[in-house]
Amino acid sequence: MHDSRISRRSLLAGAAGASALLTLPRPAAPAVKKGTSLKLWILKTYVEPTNKAIEASAQRWAQKNGASVTVEYFTFEDMQTKYVAAIESNSTPDVGQLETSAPARFAGMGQLVDLTTFARQIEGQVGKAPAAVQAVTMVGDKVYSLPWYVMGAFWYAWRDVFEKAKVKLPTTFEEAKRAAAALNRPKDNFYGMGQSWNRTADGYGVMQSLMYSHGVGWAGKDGKYKSLKTPAMQNVMKWATDIYKDGIQPADTLTWTGSGNNENFIAKNIAQTSNGPSITFALENALAKATDAKDRKAKEEALANHVALPHPAGPDGRRMWAIAMSFGIFKTSKDPEAAMSLIAHLLSPEETVAVMKDSYGQFGPVLDKARAASKDYFNKNDNYRTFGRAAEWFAPTGWPGPTTAAAAEVQASNVLTDAPAKVIVDKWSVDQAIEWEDKKIKEIYDTLKG
Amino acid sequence: MTLALPQTVGIPVVRARASIWRRARTRESATALLFLLPLFVLVVALIGYPVYRAVWLSLTDKLVGYPERFVGLRNYAYLAQDDTFHAVIRNSLVFTVGSVGLKIVTGVLMALVLQNVIRGRNFFRGLFLLPWITSTVIIALTWRWMFDAFPGRGFFNSVLLDAGLLRRPIAFMATPEGAMMAVIVANWWRGFPFFGVSFLAGLASIPRELYEAASVDGASAWRRFWHITLPGLKHVMIVTTLLSFILTINDFNIVYVMTRGGPGTATQIFATYSYQVAFGQLRWGRGVTICLFVVPILVLGIVMISRYLLRDRK
Repeated sequence: MHDSRISRRSLLAGAAGASALLTLPRPAAPAVKKGTSLKLWILKTYVEPTNKAIEASAQRWAQKNGASVTVEYFTFEDMQTKYVAAIESNSTPDVGQLETSAPARFAGMGQLVDLTTFARQIEGQVGKAPAAVQAVTMVGDKVYSLPWYVMGAFWYAWRDVFEKAKVKLPTTFEEAKRAAAALNRPKDNFYGMGQSWNRTADGYGVMQSLMYSHGVGWAGKDGKYKSLKTPAMQNVMKWATDIYKDGIQPADTLTWTGSGNNENFIAKNIAQTSNGPSITFALENALAKATDAKDRKAKEEALANHVALPHPAGPDGRRMWAIAMSFGIFKTSKDPEAAMSLIAHLLSPEETVAVMKDSYGQFGPVLDKARAASKDYFNKNDNYRTFGRAAEWFAPTGWPGPTTAAAAEVQASNVLTDAPAKVIVDKWSVDQAIEWEDKKIKEIYDTLKG
Repeated sequence: MTLALPQTVGIPVVRARASIWRRARTRESATALLFLLPLFVLVVALIGYPVYRAVWLSLTDKLVGYPERFVGLRNYAYLAQDDTFHAVIRNSLVFTVGSVGLKIVTGVLMALVLQNVIRGRNFFRGLFLLPWITSTVIIALTWRWMFDAFPGRGFFNSVLLDAGLLRRPIAFMATPEGAMMAVIVANWWRGFPFFGVSFLAGLASIPRELYEAASVDGASAWRRFWHITLPGLKHVMIVTTLLSFILTINDFNIVYVMTRGGPGTATQIFATYSYQVAFGQLRWGRGVTICLFVVPILVLGIVMISRYLLRDRK
């Protein structure tokens, strides 16, 4: 019979092993020296409470570790300028929040610390992100940033307008176009859709969602250039330009800046548009600031009638380009260990949920532990349930390949939205515009070597 | 009586004087150089180095975050065959010539009107200067709102619809021509007070006797304007136009805020395109080259006008 008693030797060996394990540094939370000072750059969005919540989270880390964190903000507008100036003057922060294209670009410049080991270490604590989101943070097999959330794009529609006209809420781009035609009332200055091909994420972001959902990418899975001259791209360009030719949009849609579609949707000048959850934030905020009973009723109705649908699908599925925010550590950091500790703190499910609760749905967690912890929050209503699924549909810049410096430049060069503009404004043919776009993209990949 | 000094005595005296004079001159030159040094340092540091750096960058393939590599005139060659850049040159010239032309005409009108206003002259001068002292971003946003296509929000459309002059709103900024017109108007509105004030100062320096003599000779108001006022304003006009041309062709704010260079590339100008290439695409070498393209034209203009003004003065 086997003796189940534990021998003294094995007990001692076990105790020694356990104490050795306990004395090892905990991999998920690197050590922080007292008095450490870090500089953290974060994105300032339209949703002011989110900005404050992130700052408060960083300060909680500082307090816990006897350190200090100086938080600096950048906006969508000056994000690129601020990082570019910092890189050229060697004054980058310790930790920076990076948008979709930034990890590939900055890692290529040798600016970011390799976080492959750290990412593996904290996986147990924070969980994993979906593969499409993960792709944004990697160059080759190395990890240069840790994903936190995606600011998804959704298809906003006025439910009451659709119901009154007995039109089905759209699930695909084609349905959205047909619905727009059915709802269009130009005589009343009401239009079926408002989709601008401008130089903001509302332009190039939607164009990428449209392309990827049609199975069109300008790069292959290996991240190398691939020609756009395909029948599927012709369909993409046709959809993008037909919505202008058919008069189902306000005539000045092409010149809208980032807030043009928000304003026109909220003012009920258009029936549908693509946007981040900032429209919901604006409507919830407006209700909170209602001045009297009548005003309150109108704002309650607006809030109840606006619906945020999943971004339309195409013949090849539903793929949504979004702003994927991650954290990277710059090589100029004097204390990368402390920077890692700060990131681990911010990415923890508790801190993520604390920030997310102040985000009005704009903040879609991507790490599975935070997603699990945020289920209740996103169960608030249908719109929030849709916001909570943002990570599922996410497709990175340069899909189906990883986000590379060249893919990022294609987006930044505005060639994706300038091409349909050439058809709409300069009256080029669809094929001419695709030919021009393809040539420009190839040129970018040739000079950056993919 | 004159004393004839022996030559042997005179020569050392003359030599001594020459030496003192030379020493004094050297001391003076040294002092002058010392006083000039701060200015020289400033010119080199604030003008010379940035210009040298810009020219150097335009000859490299500088990408943000990477060291620059000398590529000769490759950036210039690229832009010479870049269709977007061709549109940028065309747009920049239309934007600049259109804005400056409007500013000259309205500046002259403003100066003539203000010169003849007796009561509340200072008030009106202050009023006309308002656009000039208002933030450019506010001006751009205001004009964007004025041209908005939606009635109830766009000023012009609301007024025209309410007055029954329109049945449907006009989308002013939806077409390339309309968008260009809108940015020109915003730029003109911001800049015409500078012209008006400068011309007003110019008008004050024209002798009144010339007008009186012309009136006595029976010259009409138009002939007095054509033969006295305009020639009298010539120098001020040239300098003001040149300065405004330089500022307008390098303008960024109005176009960036109002149209971002759109629709398509219809209002993309040197500064906005350079910004997009340098900060969006991170190609600093090419971005700098876009702006440097215009420098030879401006330098040539400045030299020609300076020579003309100096010749006139002589």
